[in-house]
Amino acid sequence: MSEKLKINFWRLAILVVGVGAWEWLTGIKAVSKIPGLYFIDPFFISRPSKIVERFFYLNSDEVRLTLWQMLLSTVESTIIGFLVGVSTGFAAGLVLGRNDRLARIFEPYIIAFNSLPRIALVPLVTMIFGFGLLAKVVLAWLIVFFIVFFNTFQGARGVDPDLIHSARFLGATEGQIMRTVIIPSALAWTFASLTPSISFALIGVVIGEFIGGESGGGIGYLIIASLGTLNSADMMVALIVLAITGIVMALGIKQVEMRLLRWRPEYQQR
Amino acid sequence: MPRLRIQIRDLSKTFREGGREVPAVSRVSLDILDKEFVALVGPSGCGKSTILNMIGGLIAPSAGQMLIDGAPVRDVPRQVGYVFQKDTVFPWRTVTRNIALGLEYRGVTGPEQGRRVGEAIRLAGLAGFEEAFPATLSGGMRQRVALMRTLIVEPEILLMDEPFGALDTHTKLNLHAELLALWEAKHQTVVFVTHDLSEAITLADRIVVLTRRPGRVKMIHEVKLPRPRDVIKLRESDEYAQQYSQIWHVLGEEFAGHAV
Ligand SMILES: Nc1ncnc2c1ncn2[C@@H]1O[C@H](COP(=O)(O)OP(=O)(O)OP(=O)(O)O)[C@@H](O)[C@H]1O
Ligand SMILES: [Mg+2]
Repeated sequence: MSEKLKINFWRLAILVVGVGAWEWLTGIKAVSKIPGLYFIDPFFISRPSKIVERFFYLNSDEVRLTLWQMLLSTVESTIIGFLVGVSTGFAAGLVLGRNDRLARIFEPYIIAFNSLPRIALVPLVTMIFGFGLLAKVVLAWLIVFFIVFFNTFQGARGVDPDLIHSARFLGATEGQIMRTVIIPSALAWTFASLTPSISFALIGVVIGEFIGGESGGGIGYLIIASLGTLNSADMMVALIVLAITGIVMALGIKQVEMRLLRWRPEYQQR
Repeated sequence: MPRLRIQIRDLSKTFREGGREVPAVSRVSLDILDKEFVALVGPSGCGKSTILNMIGGLIAPSAGQMLIDGAPVRDVPRQVGYVFQKDTVFPWRTVTRNIALGLEYRGVTGPEQGRRVGEAIRLAGLAGFEEAFPATLSGGMRQRVALMRTLIVEPEILLMDEPFGALDTHTKLNLHAELLALWEAKHQTVVFVTHDLSEAITLADRIVVLTRRPGRVKMIHEVKLPRPRDVIKLRESDEYAQQYSQIWHVLGEEFAGHAV
């Protein structure tokens, strides 16, 4: 407990010192003859006080699209893209993982497609799906699908054959083997891919929002719009909100994982 | 005259790995009667698991025949239960849900399932650990789970591959006593693989001694010890010592041979 307290103390200390230094260094003048030059120029990295001010402004009804609405849009696309990506990737991983011939047939296509940088697909996806929610979801899906697919594939392949045999001797049908042996066994692998997946889903969505403009909405739009007006404070607001969103979603996944993988030694409380 | 349950006729198995041929079992013939408890003993790598896998239909013989109730074994035979050499308790299921597996597969659910699983847990002395996950159990407890999980579907033929190989002597003796009690009640036909001669004598009606790889039948020994047997007292008896030295005389040659 005291260890936990210590850790939390240092975390807080770093935050306070960091934010304090940021506020202070962007406030004082540089030792220089040129007037108006700051020690660190807040034009580029803004200042904490300014960021807080913009945060409240962006949430007020003085703006057409509030920060809250943008956040909801980003989170909605991310979660939908993530869920669709996870379920399709999981299903595909199971099917190909348990069927050698299919796996061999699809192998070159999967490798080819996976080695394509996703970002190169953004214009095409935009052309096909427009600028809205759908395009963002598709982008998140394209990334998540492959991560989850590869992990589940490995997991489904690596199922201990003796576990399958023992199920068979207990009278299991193929369907029961899938449900009681292969899926639980592969899940450990799948879960390992979920935390990176949600981060990548967020990346896909934000990239989609860079291109999508106002109709797509979202935090990515706020970032691009702030670039247009050279407003670093708004950009910082967007980045901080994204970071917090990322943390919250990763924690959520950890919770689900702890529940579903309760049987693993690392989750057994002593 | 009890009927023939398992007939092994001139059975051979040669594995091919990377162009190399590894003969594992060579021309083994053996008849196993209904309700008989047979132990296969032999040095490591002599093909004991391979023979068991052929009885269980997991491996096809290279030559010869494997018959159960007169029919050649294909696939996994219905009436056979198998306790594997490796720990195959499902780590993601609790003790209760592991033992319930066979009933679940057969569609036995609800109170009937609960009753039978409860009974099995009691028999195995696992009361209090119903909701424990295997990761928190000792090796002996996991083997008890594996054993009860197999027995709960009441197989007529029971294949056991060194089920107690990794356990300490004390736990092993306890499990021998439990296994014998369960067997006295149901009289399954058991094929029990081990390289522990004391274990074989304690449990079996007949002991089949195999040679070093490729495994051939070197000797078949009738264990003339009365049942029910007391696994502790048995070891002090002269008959036990006598039988032990008789078999050891033969088996020891195989163990003593060259390193493989
Ligand atoms: N799938 C396989 N492919 C190739 N060789 C195999 C295979 N399974 C077994 N063997 C070989 O066949 C021989 C017999 O193996 P087996 O597992 O039956 O021995 P065992 O008597 O059960 O040994 P142990 O007491 O160590 O379990 C060994 O030399 C082993 O290397
Ligand atoms: Mg073996």
